[in-house]
Amino acid sequence: MQNDRDLLLISIFTFFTVSLWITFELLKTVKTTTVSTTTQQIVVPLSSTIDIDTLTKITNKRVY
Amino acid sequence: MPYNYKTELQRYRKYYQSLEPILKKSSSRAYTAVIFSFLAVSLFGWYAIRPTIQTILYLRREIVDKTEINRKMEDKISALIEAQAVYQEIEPLLPNVDQALPSQPDALPLLVQIRNLASRSAVTVTTIQLPAIPLLGEDNSQNKKSTKTNTSAKPLPVDLTIGVLGQYVSIRSFIEGMIAMRRVVAIDGITVSPYRTGSESSQSAIQHSRLIQLVLKLRTFYITQ
Repeated sequence: MQNDRDLLLISIFTFFTVSLWITFELLKTVKTTTVSTTTQQIVVPLSSTIDIDTLTKITNKRVY
Repeated sequence: MPYNYKTELQRYRKYYQSLEPILKKSSSRAYTAVIFSFLAVSLFGWYAIRPTIQTILYLRREIVDKTEINRKMEDKISALIEAQAVYQEIEPLLPNVDQALPSQPDALPLLVQIRNLASRSAVTVTTIQLPAIPLLGEDNSQNKKSTKTNTSAKPLPVDLTIGVLGQYVSIRSFIEGMIAMRRVVAIDGITVSPYRTGSESSQSAIQHSRLIQLVLKLRTFYITQ
């Protein structure tokens, strides 16, 4: 009887360990992005705004 | 040696026959069932359920990521089209930017501009001090070393000192012209002093007494690629 209880405890702990392991593996899969670093660099937002005022100021300056 | 089940079965019979009295107990049967259930769930969970769910979650995550990437790409394409339109619009003005912030020290063009400004403002340039920079061609000084280490464009300063002589109105016109010059020039310091000479006749001394000596500490910039 004692032997059976020991085996049962071992199997329960094994079950919980494996369950936790699986859970963390799945969480890691969910959290890890599938986008490569190169793609992340490519899709960095580009601002198309150009400071026209400064350009105009430079243009209005004089060349001697 | 081939397995002979007739003799070998007899040989191992005692082992599995010894299990029979144990399994006759209901509690032992229940324990065994529960233990093997846990072990089976653990085993199949690790080797079968985990990879399956992992694949499902990976594919779902990939769909979300790809959708997001697609949206960002479309935004970037729109931004690039807008930027191209703006660039075409301002393209004629870009040489002005090169004049304001050249890619080389361009000391000679700057000095030519200062000379023209001085003659236009009716002042006399008395001194010009420049640091050791290449007047023409490639920069072999420490600026080039720093250029190699820098991957992004960075403005590098060039200090110069100019001394001019003239009347107050001319000096003022010279400073205003310096501020209005397209080449980016920052005035770090201004020293104004009355012009004095040693032995002069009384008339020229009176004329010279109206003159002002101006020393400008300037800092101009050029940008490295």
